[in-house]
Amino acid sequence: MSPGEHTMTANAVSAKKSDAEAVRSAWRPRLELRRLQGRLFFFATLTAILFALGALVFLMSSIWIDGNESLSIEFLMSFPSRFAAKAGIKSALYGSAWIAVLTAAFAVPIGVGAALYLEEFAEDSKLRRVIDINIANLAGVPSIVYGMLGLAVFVRFMALDRSLIAGAMTMSILILPIIIVASREALKAVPRSIRLAAYGLGATNWQTVRAHVLPSAMPGIMTGIILSMSRATGETAPLIMIGALSYIAFTPTSPMDSFTVLPIQVFNWANRPQEEFHALAAGGIVVLLGVLLATNAIAIVIRYRYQRKSSW
Amino acid sequence: MVILEARDLNISYGQQRAVLDVSFQVPERTILAMIGPSGCGKSTILRTFNRMNDFVTGAKVTGEVLFRGADIYAKSADPVLIRRQIGMVFQKPNPFPSSIRKNITWGPKINGYQGDLDKLVEESLRRAALWDEVRNKLDDSGLALSGGQQQRLCIARAIAMDPDVILMDEPCSALDPASTLKIERLMSELKERFTIMIVTHNMQQARRISDLTAFMYQGELVELGPTDEVFEAPQKELTRDYVSGRFG
Repeated sequence: MSPGEHTMTANAVSAKKSDAEAVRSAWRPRLELRRLQGRLFFFATLTAILFALGALVFLMSSIWIDGNESLSIEFLMSFPSRFAAKAGIKSALYGSAWIAVLTAAFAVPIGVGAALYLEEFAEDSKLRRVIDINIANLAGVPSIVYGMLGLAVFVRFMALDRSLIAGAMTMSILILPIIIVASREALKAVPRSIRLAAYGLGATNWQTVRAHVLPSAMPGIMTGIILSMSRATGETAPLIMIGALSYIAFTPTSPMDSFTVLPIQVFNWANRPQEEFHALAAGGIVVLLGVLLATNAIAIVIRYRYQRKSSW
Repeated sequence: MVILEARDLNISYGQQRAVLDVSFQVPERTILAMIGPSGCGKSTILRTFNRMNDFVTGAKVTGEVLFRGADIYAKSADPVLIRRQIGMVFQKPNPFPSSIRKNITWGPKINGYQGDLDKLVEESLRRAALWDEVRNKLDDSGLALSGGQQQRLCIARAIAMDPDVILMDEPCSALDPASTLKIERLMSELKERFTIMIVTHNMQQARRISDLTAFMYQGELVELGPTDEVFEAPQKELTRDYVSGRFG
């Protein structure tokens, strides 16, 4: 080995060394700072959930304190009355149940059907994109607007009067966009590979949808239906608009009967000057929340059943 | 006898041309392997043979694709009927999220099969070399099986339709060597009854299982011939470079 070669090697080695140092100094791990950021974010999110939960707990407990005294079998089984001691929510409870069932009967088949059409059958066209955008927008329209629509179309034009069926149709229009959007998302989430597998076996579009896509999307569709039904049960403004009454001293027996619902009854009691009626309003809220929680629980059980059957 | 044929086939996705002027024939009861680097258009060609490209937005097919002499892209051709006669096994195993039995029986049922379904299940699973492993758990979910078993279930599902052709799009790429070997053995048995067109990235696999090999490069069919010839004495420089592993 000649001396010249040797120097070159040494040069090369030192050059490499300084390269490596340069590379190393280009990295600033700053682990402390990164961990601190993580902890800060953890506490920020924790605070957020505590605020949300705290507000809910406060709301629930204050309503429970105000309302638990008015809760009794008589309260559930009595009609409204001028006398707070005799007043109950029977007609509102029945009215809400009627509205929920009728609304579901209208909105679920139409909503899921529309979602299926848009997602599975419609050709991609300009018209479809216009419909897409508008459905998303409809979900954000204030409910009072639907109330006016219901008043003009169902109550007046179709002469359904202030009946359960007019109320349920109005509510259906209100929750249709929610059901359609949620169902479409659920249908979109079904893996393409499942559809291709079905088509590959000589299945028609409908056979594929019926046997594989729809069952797989069912949990998501159910979620949309649950959410929208809760909305329909709690919504007040459109029903006031179409003229649901607050004093109903009978239980509806047909879809053509006039009606009231829980939130309207609550609203009415809360508006009265007398203290005793405020306690009734709180009691009504407890019942309303109870009904909502119960229907949600049932729907969640159904959803869970479906999920277990079709998970992959 | 020729069962599949492409004549001046051109396929493009929007502006991008994926397959250029490809013509070839596939005789009945043979295995044709399609090899070539990624993006050369081999899977695209495979999917035209049972009109799976219908589901790819923007895909445009010109030229003729013939199945037993009839153009499957003709207006009068029914894609549902074509897919019933030309089955497909996909790259990733995709059993339905239901029982092994239902995975097999669904296709025949919706296509009006009148025979004994239990017998069909057993026969199809036997031919897919899966029967012994699943005979006692036919009502378990197909998704509970291993990847290799799932792929054989998908093959059994395709066989149950008694198709004329089975298209396989890299059926072993997601599987371990043992499962791959099982499926390769299976294919030489299936050849007795079906025509098989298989896309593979694995040149050894193409060599082991196929009668004919087609080499594609950048959308063009470079060479198609008996597998031995394509690998031992290729006609084209490009083919030789590819099969000898010089690029790809």
